[in-house]
Amino acid sequence: MGVEQMVGKYSIEVTSNYTRYFLTVERNITVIQGRSATGKSELIRLLTSYETDGISSGVIVRSDVPIHVVDSRQWEILIQSYSKCIIFIDETADFVKSEDFARLVQKNNNYFVIVNRDPLKQLSYSIEEIYGFRVSHESQKYHGAYRVYNELYHLYHLTPGSSIAPTKVITEDTNSGFTFFQKLFNEKCIAAGGKSRVVDKLDELDSGEDVLLIVDGAAFGSEIARVIRYLYNHQMNCAVYAPESFEYLLLRAGFVSVSKKMLEETYNYADSARYISWEDFYTSVLIRESQGTVYRYSKQRLNSAYLSDASVTKVKREIPPQIKV
Amino acid sequence: MLSIYFGEPQTETYIYNPDAFFNNRHMADWLTEPLSVEMIRDVDKSEVVGPNLIQSPFLGPIPPERLSGGVKTLIMIDHDGEHLFNASACGDNCAKWLLVIGDEKDRTVRLGYIMDFGRDKFDIRIENTNKIVHSMTEMTEEIVRKHLL
Repeated sequence: MGVEQMVGKYSIEVTSNYTRYFLTVERNITVIQGRSATGKSELIRLLTSYETDGISSGVIVRSDVPIHVVDSRQWEILIQSYSKCIIFIDETADFVKSEDFARLVQKNNNYFVIVNRDPLKQLSYSIEEIYGFRVSHESQKYHGAYRVYNELYHLYHLTPGSSIAPTKVITEDTNSGFTFFQKLFNEKCIAAGGKSRVVDKLDELDSGEDVLLIVDGAAFGSEIARVIRYLYNHQMNCAVYAPESFEYLLLRAGFVSVSKKMLEETYNYADSARYISWEDFYTSVLIRESQGTVYRYSKQRLNSAYLSDASVTKVKREIPPQIKV
Repeated sequence: MLSIYFGEPQTETYIYNPDAFFNNRHMADWLTEPLSVEMIRDVDKSEVVGPNLIQSPFLGPIPPERLSGGVKTLIMIDHDGEHLFNASACGDNCAKWLLVIGDEKDRTVRLGYIMDFGRDKFDIRIENTNKIVHSMTEMTEEIVRKHLL
């Protein structure tokens, strides 16, 4: 029997006598972090109590899919036994950094919500799925989750209202995205050699450069905090442009025909049992839909059809106007 | 002085889960000490009523076990110099208290992320490289250039 797919956007509400939490989960991995005493551990405690004693716990949990809490005891067996659930893991669980956990989470038909401040380098998670909790000042009871990195144009570390005309452009790696942006920005464009090397590349640059860093937002979650902290502490003039992925830009540009709904409501299409991340999903869609067309796509080597003046213009329309090309 | 080990330490004294360690090892009278009272007030926005009772504006009257993981970790660091505590259990709002503790005692903690110690000058020894840094700029440079995280 095949594995059931896990798609969708799920709102979770957890209520006790003193607190109420609201959280929406729409991808396979969500990370919760932030300041101490914002209620992260209390949320886990309430969910654990509900899972153990149900309504007898006194905790009210509203969710369209089952919720489980997994700690360090028998985590592998438990995770493998769950299907189409949302699994919460507290920061006290040391297995989250293991390769065994990474293997289990990839292409798994559950969603995972992981409380942890450390970057989880072995996992691919989105910049936009890193949340903190905010307490309502009126009541001190309602804990609403907010996205730590949430900008309309996926453009970070840029003063509102300003723009950037980069003297240097850094991409994560030397794949198709680099080839395209090198066409767009010419010799200003350099590759970092992998997402974990992005900060090293920033550190090599002269402080006077105006830098544009282009990363795949759908999978850069483990590195974004380090990048932002570095930029903040070095007062570097660097904007971070983090669209979901280069493939997402090409899909939006319309080289192949895909439904607008799929791009805007990807949570209803990107089955976490089949795809490691939304970047993985967009790549798969682009490869499939461009087969047999002049825009046949490969992640490793960019088809020259994407480098024509007309094609470049199409993609440029998807890039935020604050980035001066 | 405060010393920080960045990364994954390989020592038997490393306490990955300071929350659990606090629950089973703290002494009741630690909570009524002036520094503990201040930290609990600042981080948890709560008032210590007695050694086993704290009044929280979010959770009502609670025992010490229901304090935040961050403040529990701070209290353990303040009282226990024998273990290496995982300060990733602490958010940025605990950073100033780590500096306060480090002003009075020699303590080494572990961090897996770049905690924000603020804009004021400080003295922190990076355990991995034995370098003393005085600002976040120096700290992030040391972490990046020596690939500590």
